[in-house]
Amino acid sequence: MKLSLSSVYRPYRFPTLINSSALGRPFCSPALSSPSTILKPQVPLFLRPPINSTKLCDLKKWHDWAKGVATSIGSAFVHSDNGPDSSLLCREIKWLMEDAVEDHSVFSHVGLEGDECVKMRVDIEELYCLWKQRVQERRPFQYIVGCEHWRDLVLSVQEGVLIPRPETELIVDFVCDVVSKNEDLKRGVWADLGTGSGALAIGIGRVLESEGRVIATDLSHVAVSVAAYNVKRYCLQDKIELREGSWFEPLRDMEGKLAGLVSNPPYIPSKDISGLQAEVGRHEPRVALDGGIDGMDALLHLCDGAALMLKPGGFFAFETNGEQQCRALVDYMENNRSGSFCNFEILADFAGIQRFVIGFHQ
Amino acid sequence: MSCFLRKSLRLKGFSLFHHILASSTWFSCRHFSHSHSLPYNNTSPRFLVPSGSYSNGYWSQHNRFWTSETAATEPSTSDGLTLQGILSYNWAVLDENDSDWKSHASAIAQSIHLIKRRLQWRKLKVRLDMLSVQLNKADLWDDPVHAGKISREHGSLLGKMKEVNALEQELLEHIDMIKLARQENDQDLESESLKALLNMRREAKEKELEALLSGEQDSCSCYIEVQAGAGGTESMDWAAMVMQMYKSWAQQRGYKVTVMDEMPGEIAGIKRATIKVDGEFAFGYAKAEVGVHRLVRISPFDSNKRRHTSFAAVAVIPILGDGSTHVQINESDLRIERFRAGGAGGQHVNTTESAVRIVHIPTGVTATCQNERSQHQNKASAMAVLQSRLDQLEMARQAQLNAHHTQSLTDITWGSQIRSYVLHPYRMVKDLRTNYEVSDPDSVLEGDLDGFILSYLSASLDEDEDEA
Repeated sequence: MKLSLSSVYRPYRFPTLINSSALGRPFCSPALSSPSTILKPQVPLFLRPPINSTKLCDLKKWHDWAKGVATSIGSAFVHSDNGPDSSLLCREIKWLMEDAVEDHSVFSHVGLEGDECVKMRVDIEELYCLWKQRVQERRPFQYIVGCEHWRDLVLSVQEGVLIPRPETELIVDFVCDVVSKNEDLKRGVWADLGTGSGALAIGIGRVLESEGRVIATDLSHVAVSVAAYNVKRYCLQDKIELREGSWFEPLRDMEGKLAGLVSNPPYIPSKDISGLQAEVGRHEPRVALDGGIDGMDALLHLCDGAALMLKPGGFFAFETNGEQQCRALVDYMENNRSGSFCNFEILADFAGIQRFVIGFHQ
Repeated sequence: MSCFLRKSLRLKGFSLFHHILASSTWFSCRHFSHSHSLPYNNTSPRFLVPSGSYSNGYWSQHNRFWTSETAATEPSTSDGLTLQGILSYNWAVLDENDSDWKSHASAIAQSIHLIKRRLQWRKLKVRLDMLSVQLNKADLWDDPVHAGKISREHGSLLGKMKEVNALEQELLEHIDMIKLARQENDQDLESESLKALLNMRREAKEKELEALLSGEQDSCSCYIEVQAGAGGTESMDWAAMVMQMYKSWAQQRGYKVTVMDEMPGEIAGIKRATIKVDGEFAFGYAKAEVGVHRLVRISPFDSNKRRHTSFAAVAVIPILGDGSTHVQINESDLRIERFRAGGAGGQHVNTTESAVRIVHIPTGVTATCQNERSQHQNKASAMAVLQSRLDQLEMARQAQLNAHHTQSLTDITWGSQIRSYVLHPYRMVKDLRTNYEVSDPDSVLEGDLDGFILSYLSASLDEDEDEA
């Protein structure tokens, strides 16, 4: 029972010392890494060793306190900036406990009473701090637990790295579709630009043939380190290469060679940044969100680059801010890059918002 | 003699008993010839199920012999006690640890009786006779496919009948043995026979349970869904209590419980929830819970402390194994929606809400999952629920073609009121279908449901029997 429960939450049971053995060396060797600023990514809560011990009754006390705090929020955050309501916060408490407590079977004890001790991956005092940060500072839940469940992956995330969004999961589905019909693309080299936590690169890396590879780039050193950590957790070091740098800069050697290109670039218009939900606006990296005056700066740059980098028949998929950007992007490709691309499609996410532009190089 | 008997019994088991008796002068000839002529006591290989290679002549002879014999002689003990006789005595069934042979015998007889009912014994005999007639036809093997089918069905029914008959015979032999031991004043033999009877009691109980759960999907895992009725917070709280009852019940039975979907109420309780119950016979048991459950109590949510009646509906859906026929779902027939979607989405929003609702457009069937932490996983779980719902729909459709099963299968949706839980002014839980009742609602709400479930399953056998 214990085993089966824990495996649900830990798709891959990696030894928790993954990080300590790295001894300050980057996990992969980014082509353009600068050895002077080596960053050690944080270990997600659920992978930390269960070295703390807490009485069940104390955990219960924390739980009741946290629930009280969550309930008192009601729908205040929803009204102020479309933030989480108390029912979402209560679910986060449950997940936080799942990540923090080693043996999940304690949750099936209806009472959670008693002097019995449970092993925890975090000190109970810190658990209080974490929940205070969640509610008072609106620190994103994913930064609190240090991970985000995305597709069938559990990806490490931390401040400085964009938390991958559920919408973006669909890009992997598009790639699955395309490569299932085209063996050549399945064996080719793909690029994920502005990879952040490495989500798209890892998702795509897992659907390509053994010869297929992914190059993931990011301007941010933190992002590259975190992405490298995630790539290593899924044992894809041989398939995914991380390169630090802005958009196509680290890809000069790949001109006309890419089988596919995907990106979830910053696309929020600058004027909208200040009104964002607190979790996003106050905590996530602006560089991953702000797309310039109309939000299209990066998207247009990506279009130009794609025309150059993709090989004939190569596939691209970009995430956008919505219908308006999708149309503008297709217009731009048809007018300014006529002849470069074909078979455009605008696709909606599960909320029904036109979210993606996909197509092929001529 | 009894010493010799014991030794033989240990070596060869009870089936030799009558042969031993045959060589002794202790029993009357009447008894000996009687028991020896019973067909299931015949160990001749000729009685094995035909594989189709027997000649018609042999078969007809053989079958006439067999059917006429069963009809003529009901097995009984040396002093004429039959299974029906044991049942009609109505001996009290005591705890297994009470070494009372009448109690054991009564329990075994009841189990056998129940198994017979489950097999629809009378219909089974008629069917078997009918098959025998067909097997006797001279032109049977002109159509080998049809002949094979007939002969296989005959063999399978015969096998079932023989198994039950053997149980019945074994019971009577044990009783004979105990009576003999008493007559002989042989305490060793008596306690040994009693032990054998006790073993048989357990075995028969297991067989009885198997017979109760012999439906096509009974062995499957299942989903249990609970939905609050009208009535606001009080009924949402009731729905949560019902769901908790099933979670506890399933855990006590050793099933794995996973929450698939849970829609909490604004103040307390749940609007609806779905759990997955993994394990053997989960569906077989849980299907007994389908219907509306009614609660009467002083509501803790009513400041005036008034008595409230609320309802919660329970649905149970089998999860068919891989071997079963799955409905093929067309990707293009699906509409997949973010649950509680709103706002600009994408990078604008940070939310841990990634629930997905899937609508199967042609049927309007929907499924939601919001328990998982990623949209992708929620979608996969919701797809599994949708698959089971569509499979169930398809089964109901097919069952309508087989009119007989229609009743039982269409019942497995939101049914009518089946049980009342009264916490005030008195305390009682009563099943309206079986009239089974318990005066301790707490234990029931903590998952002690087996009494209700088993009494319902047995009662539904009675209905089958009545229909037959």
